[in-house]
Amino acid sequence: MNNNYVEKSSHAEFQRRHMGMKIKNRISNTIIYIILIVMTVIWLFPFFAILCESLRMESTGQVGYIFPHQWGFGNYIKLWTETDFPKWYGNTMLMALIVAVLQTVIVLAMSYTLSRLRFKGRKGLMNFMLVLGMFPGFLTMIVLYTVLKDMGLTGPNAVPGLILVYVASSGMGYYVSKGFFDTLPRSLDEAARVDGATRFQVFYKVILPLSKPIIIYTILVAFMAPWGDFIFAKYIARTSTAGWNVAVGLKSWIDSKTLHDTNYTMFCAGGVCVALPVTLLFMFLQKYYVEGVTGGAVKG
Amino acid sequence: MATVKLTNVKKVYDNKVVAVHDFNLDIADKEFIVFVGPSGCGKSTTLRMIAGLEEISDGIVEIDGEVVNDLQPKDRHIAMVFQNYALYPHLTVFENMAFSLRLKKYPQKEVYERVTKAAEILGITEYLTRKPRALSGGQRQRVAIGRAMVRDSKVFLMDEPLSNLDAKLRNQMRAEIILLRQRIDTTFIYVTHDQTEAMTLGDRIVIMKDGYIMQVGTPTEVFEMPDNLFVAEFIGAPKMNTFKTDLLYENGKYYVTPFGAKIEVDGYKGEKLAEMNVKPQEIILGVRPEHIVLAKAGGENAIKCTIEVNEMMGSEVHLHVKTESGERLIVRVPTINLSFEEREALIYGAKVYITFEGKVMHFFDKEKEHNLLIKREESTSQDEEDYSLE
Ligand SMILES: Nc1ncnc2c1ncn2[C@@H]1O[C@H](COP(=O)(O)OP(=O)(O)O)[C@@H](O)[C@H]1O
Ligand SMILES: [Mg+2]
Repeated sequence: MNNNYVEKSSHAEFQRRHMGMKIKNRISNTIIYIILIVMTVIWLFPFFAILCESLRMESTGQVGYIFPHQWGFGNYIKLWTETDFPKWYGNTMLMALIVAVLQTVIVLAMSYTLSRLRFKGRKGLMNFMLVLGMFPGFLTMIVLYTVLKDMGLTGPNAVPGLILVYVASSGMGYYVSKGFFDTLPRSLDEAARVDGATRFQVFYKVILPLSKPIIIYTILVAFMAPWGDFIFAKYIARTSTAGWNVAVGLKSWIDSKTLHDTNYTMFCAGGVCVALPVTLLFMFLQKYYVEGVTGGAVKG
Repeated sequence: MATVKLTNVKKVYDNKVVAVHDFNLDIADKEFIVFVGPSGCGKSTTLRMIAGLEEISDGIVEIDGEVVNDLQPKDRHIAMVFQNYALYPHLTVFENMAFSLRLKKYPQKEVYERVTKAAEILGITEYLTRKPRALSGGQRQRVAIGRAMVRDSKVFLMDEPLSNLDAKLRNQMRAEIILLRQRIDTTFIYVTHDQTEAMTLGDRIVIMKDGYIMQVGTPTEVFEMPDNLFVAEFIGAPKMNTFKTDLLYENGKYYVTPFGAKIEVDGYKGEKLAEMNVKPQEIILGVRPEHIVLAKAGGENAIKCTIEVNEMMGSEVHLHVKTESGERLIVRVPTINLSFEEREALIYGAKVYITFEGKVMHFFDKEKEHNLLIKREESTSQDEEDYSLE
C-alpha cells in the first residue's frame, strides 16, 4: 500500500514537472521567435524599401512614404535603354566572371600546393602572406594607380587593369581552402600516386571532386569582390564613364542634391539589378554544399 | 614479380629524426617479406621509401635490378594497400578498382574483365556499384586489396592492412591473404606490428627496432634462434621469460643456476656452448612459457613459485607465477595432461613447482644482449649504433 502511494505521488510529481517544462519551453520558444522575427524585419526592410522605390512611378526623387502610389517598371526600362548602366553592368559582369575563374584556379592550386607539397620556405611564405594580408588592400592604391597608368590600364581601360589588381593577390586567400585540403587524408593522394597518377591527376581526379563545397565557396568569394568593389574601381577608372563598374556608376547618379532628386528611383532599380545575380548565384550553388563528401574514404 | 634490394638505406626526416639507420635487405622474386616491430621503429618509413612516397635520404633501392631512388611512385610498378584503406570516396567500388587501369588507358573490355575477376576472388561482386561509405570495414579492406590486385605490379606493398579490423575479421582476412598470395604470386612486402601476423604470413621476417634491423630470418629461425634479447622477447606469445643467472662450467659440463636450482645444460645447447667456447659468466637466460613444465614438489631442480594470476585459455592455462626471490615468470601449461582436480587447484596463492630442460634454454650476453650461441661478426649492430652517433 505504502509503496503504491509513493509511486503514484512521484508519478504525479513527474507529470506536474513535465507540464511545467513544457510551458517553460513554449514561452522561451515564443520569445526566441519574436526576437528572430523582429531582427528579420529590421534586416529585410532596406531591401524591401529599395524594391518599392524602384517600382515607384509618380516621382524620381526621395519621398516620405514606402508604398508607391503608382507602380510600374518605368525606372528599369529607362535604366537599361537610356543610360550608361548596361555598359557598367557589362564591365562589372566581365570583371567578376574572369576574376572568379582565374582566382578560383589560383587559390585552389595555391592551397593544394601549400597543403601537400613540402618545400623550403613554405612556412615562411605562409606567414609572410598572412601578415601581408592583414594590411588593407587600398594602402597600395596610389602605387597601383601609377603602375597601371604607365601600362595604360587606367581611365577608359580600367577593366583589364582592375582584373589584374583583383587577380594579382588571389594567392593570398589560401587559408580557408588549405584548411579544407588539410582535412582530406594524405593517403588518398598517396594511393592515387601509387596507382599511377601524376600530381596534377591526383589534384583533379581525386582532390577536386571531393572539394565541391570549397570550390563553390571560392567561386562565390572571388565573384563577390569585384562585383561589389567601389574604392579601387573609382580610383582607377577616375572620370571615364566607360571604365566604371556598377557601384561607381550608380554612385555618380546621386552625387548631388539635384542629381539625387532626378535619379533616386532609377538608382534603386540599379541596386535591385545588382543584387539579382548574386542572389541567383547563391541560390543555384547552395545545393552543391554537400556535407560528408569524404565519408568512407578512410576508416570512420 | 621482381626482386627488391635495399642497400645502406637511411631516412632522416626534416626534424632530424633518424627513422631508418642502415637498412640492407635482399628480397627474392615472389618472396613474402614481413617487416615487424613495435610502433615507431621505422617499418612504414622503409615501406614508403620503397613505394616512392618518402624521399630516400641515403642508400640505394632497387626494384627488379633497376635503381628507383629518383622514380615517382607511378613509375615504380608497385601496388600498395594502406592501413586506412584510402579508397576514393567519390568513386564506386568498381571505379576505385579500375582507377589505375583507366589511368593507363586500358581498353574498356579489359578493365571490366580484370575488375570483375578480382571482385569475384575477393567476394565483393555485389558491392561493385556502391560507394565506399556504404561498406563495412572488412569490405573496404577487400576493395583496397582489390584495387592493388587488378594491376600487374612488380611488388605488392601492404602497410598494416588488418590493424583496423576487429580480431575475428583480422584472423579471417589473414587466412585470405595467404590464399591471395598463392593466387597472385608476386613479391610481397607486408608491414605489421603484430608478431602473430608476421609469423603466419612471412617467408622471411625482418624484425626492427628504433630504425635498426634486429634480425632477418624465417619464422622458425627467429623463433628458435633469436639473434638477441629483443627478438627473443618480441617473437612468441606470451613472451619469453628472461632473467639473470650464472652460467657455470664444471667437469666439462655447463650448468645454470636459476632461483636456487642448478640445471645442467644438456643436449645440443650444451654442445653448442662448448663449441662456441662460452666462458662461465653471468648471463641472461631465456625460457619460453611453453617450455617450462610443472614439477613434483621436492623433485630435482624444482623451483618453488606462487601463482599470482591464472589465465584459463581452455586448451592451456597461462600461469603468472612469482619465484621466492620475487622474479615473475609466465608458464604455459597444456591442460590435456592435468586432471580436473589438478586444474582446479591452480588458483591464486597456490604453490607450484616448475622446471625446464637444457635444450629449451636461450643464452644472452648480459650487456650486449646478443645470443651467445650465434657467431658475432666483427661489426655488430651495436658498433654501428655507436658509429652513427658520432
Ligand atoms: N613525416 C614525418 N616527419 C618526422 N618524423 C616522422 C615522420 N614520419 C615518421 N616519423 C618518425 O619516424 C619514426 C618511424 O616512423 P614509422 O616508420 O611511421 O614507424 P612504424 O611504421 O614502424 O610505426 C618514428 O619515430 C616517427 O615519429
Ligand atoms: Mg606504421
